Amino acid sequence: MLEPRWLRWIGPGVIAVLAVGSVASTTLGAGPHPWVPRACGIESGGPAAAARAQGPAGLDDLHQEAWFRLDASLDRTGALEGQRLALGVDGNRSSGVMDLPPESFAAGPFGRIVLIGADDGMVSRLEAIDVARECSWAVAEVADVVRRATIDSALGTIYETRVDRATRADLGVWARPLDGSSPAVLVLEPMDPDDRFGRTWTTEFAWDVSGRVLAVQSCGEAACRTRVIDPAGGLPRFLAEPDLGAMIGLDGDLVVTYAACSGFPCPILAVDLRTGTRRILAEAGAVAVVIPTADGPRVVHEVLTESGLALRAIALDGSFISDLGRMPDGARLVATPNAAGSSTRVPPGWVALGPSGRLPADGPNAQTKLRHVPDGITVQLDEVAR
Amino acid sequence: MNRSRWQSLKTSRSMKTSALRIATMASILAVVVALLAAVGVAARSPDPILSGGRFNQNQALPFSWRSGSVPPLAYQVPIVAAAADVTITRYSQAATFSYVAGAPNLIGYGTLASCGVQGLACFTRNAPTGFTIWMREQGHRFDWGSLRWCQAYATWPAGCYDVENILLDEFGHVEILNHHANLADGADYIDAVVQALSRTKPTAGWNAHAFGRCDVASLQLQYDMQGWGAKYSTCLSLSTTLGLTASPTAIAKGGASTLTASLKVADVASYVRLALNPVALRTVILQRRPAGTTAWSTVGTMANGATSGTYTMSLSLQARTEFRALFVRPLDEGLLASTSATVVVAVSP
Repeated sequence: MLEPRWLRWIGPGVIAVLAVGSVASTTLGAGPHPWVPRACGIESGGPAAAARAQGPAGLDDLHQEAWFRLDASLDRTGALEGQRLALGVDGNRSSGVMDLPPESFAAGPFGRIVLIGADDGMVSRLEAIDVARECSWAVAEVADVVRRATIDSALGTIYETRVDRATRADLGVWARPLDGSSPAVLVLEPMDPDDRFGRTWTTEFAWDVSGRVLAVQSCGEAACRTRVIDPAGGLPRFLAEPDLGAMIGLDGDLVVTYAACSGFPCPILAVDLRTGTRRILAEAGAVAVVIPTADGPRVVHEVLTESGLALRAIALDGSFISDLGRMPDGARLVATPNAAGSSTRVPPGWVALGPSGRLPADGPNAQTKLRHVPDGITVQLDEVAR
Repeated sequence: MNRSRWQSLKTSRSMKTSALRIATMASILAVVVALLAAVGVAARSPDPILSGGRFNQNQALPFSWRSGSVPPLAYQVPIVAAAADVTITRYSQAATFSYVAGAPNLIGYGTLASCGVQGLACFTRNAPTGFTIWMREQGHRFDWGSLRWCQAYATWPAGCYDVENILLDEFGHVEILNHHANLADGADYIDAVVQALSRTKPTAGWNAHAFGRCDVASLQLQYDMQGWGAKYSTCLSLSTTLGLTASPTAIAKGGASTLTASLKVADVASYVRLALNPVALRTVILQRRPAGTTAWSTVGTMANGATSGTYTMSLSLQARTEFRALFVRPLDEGLLASTSATVVVAVSP
């Protein structure tokens, strides 16, 4: 069923996977090269199977983990003319580069998959790329503009946020099976307008630490509203406080979020969806992530000090504060995939550090580190992933 | 628009030298207060502040362009202009910004590594060490559509964002300012450039190139005044204290005593750096009454004293006299009225 759809893409509507003329080398191991993924065959087990691939349990499992990085491509006047997606696996310096249109995104990794969406002005297309196997599945074509999408690896479902092509009005959140066996259905209504938040700038997805609960966050220019749904059932829960900003992570009923700041430092709070109770986890945090550890979830966040950036971890109930030491010069914590435009899966209890808070465009290198929580041990990602 | 508004507030008013004028002013003030109460306008408030501390007073913060993410020339010009706007309209000892090639504080354009997913621009402030700013690229896609910077067009289209206005907002954040808390009806939007919801052409405030009075109020609280004679933002309502002394306090009939008033901002913790500031070059009125009577009469306006915030007047007296000093609430700045305690000058026959 997917093959004919994939073949239809070999036309003007292809996800602008264009050759990149400026790359010096296409030799494996010698940096990024233009890349057009072939269509995945049945030997790959389908996208749902690829999305279920377990995350790394330890450092030894990193060699086949996918990574991606999305960068704006600007014309000579500084205007956005497209986006450049670099992909690879942690254990191999080879990376592929795909040019995407201005209205595009990348999400994941979900198992072996990096999910990309691209809109050519007529239709939005979703493509699931099995990075390790260097192939892809065309998974959806939508007449509306698909702004973001995510994959429920356990249930094999894709969730999409859409806006109207002409008016850019919110069209809500839609879900479809990853295997294309049935059409998309509306699962969350469009967000009601609210002057306290202004018009919606972005709608982003985030999974909780367990990977079972999905948050959909609609942000105005500074403040955000969050809806949390359990794909297994139950009513959505709603958080709409105009002093709260972008979400950092989620653990069951606890939303970890920034205050409605437009920069750093910014307070980091844990808000209980059931009671509305708030706990300030950091008065002056910077880039932050929520990660699983053997001792439970932790917020790991940067701290701005006179001598530079440092890293700190704290449990979501405010306990177990630990200092994880100074950051390497030039490095920042790699934030959530939405915020960093870059991601790879790391084992529980580890966070990634990269130049300017991102993975390098040519893949993990000497500047890409992993730091362990709570002891602060640091390793070089490209070395442990070999 | 904001600049002219603030400048009009700042414009020094001529000294009021007669009781009639004071009475007139007081009457106008009463009417204004009554009108404000009638329409239910809540008090304006200074911008909240961010965590992370302050820069040093008048600290120079040079910036340069981030290598590999240099803003196009069309945007460099308004960024530099916004930095100049800070210097001109801070009305305080807040930090200043200027472009200096190779400076360590970087302003970048394009892919935003640390900005998150929404907004036009973002900052990282690490006071007093330095700062960074990023601004998003022209054409960035949001749910509502494509970002348009006005400066990208020969003729600025409706719906565009003014780079100079947005960067002034960012510089305000770097100083310490958080988003202004607007009144419910938004009527005070132009009181602040540092806003949670930026405005596009041609909505009021979209191209403000000066800090609003509530931005300035917060900068004054955090960084103090540029001089003791400088005007306090009308977004403030600072209590004042007025002391009065006589020297000598006992004179022979026909002798002279010098009355000295001392005007200060009250010692209130929430006034931060403004508490106990001497308040100079204002109008302080001296009143008198014969001892044992109740009706005050105005003697006149006291002259500026040798020490900042002091006002003096010498009088020769024929009988025991009581004095007090008055500071009437000015209409052009955020100081409240105060009256001194009564001072008695004894006169011996």
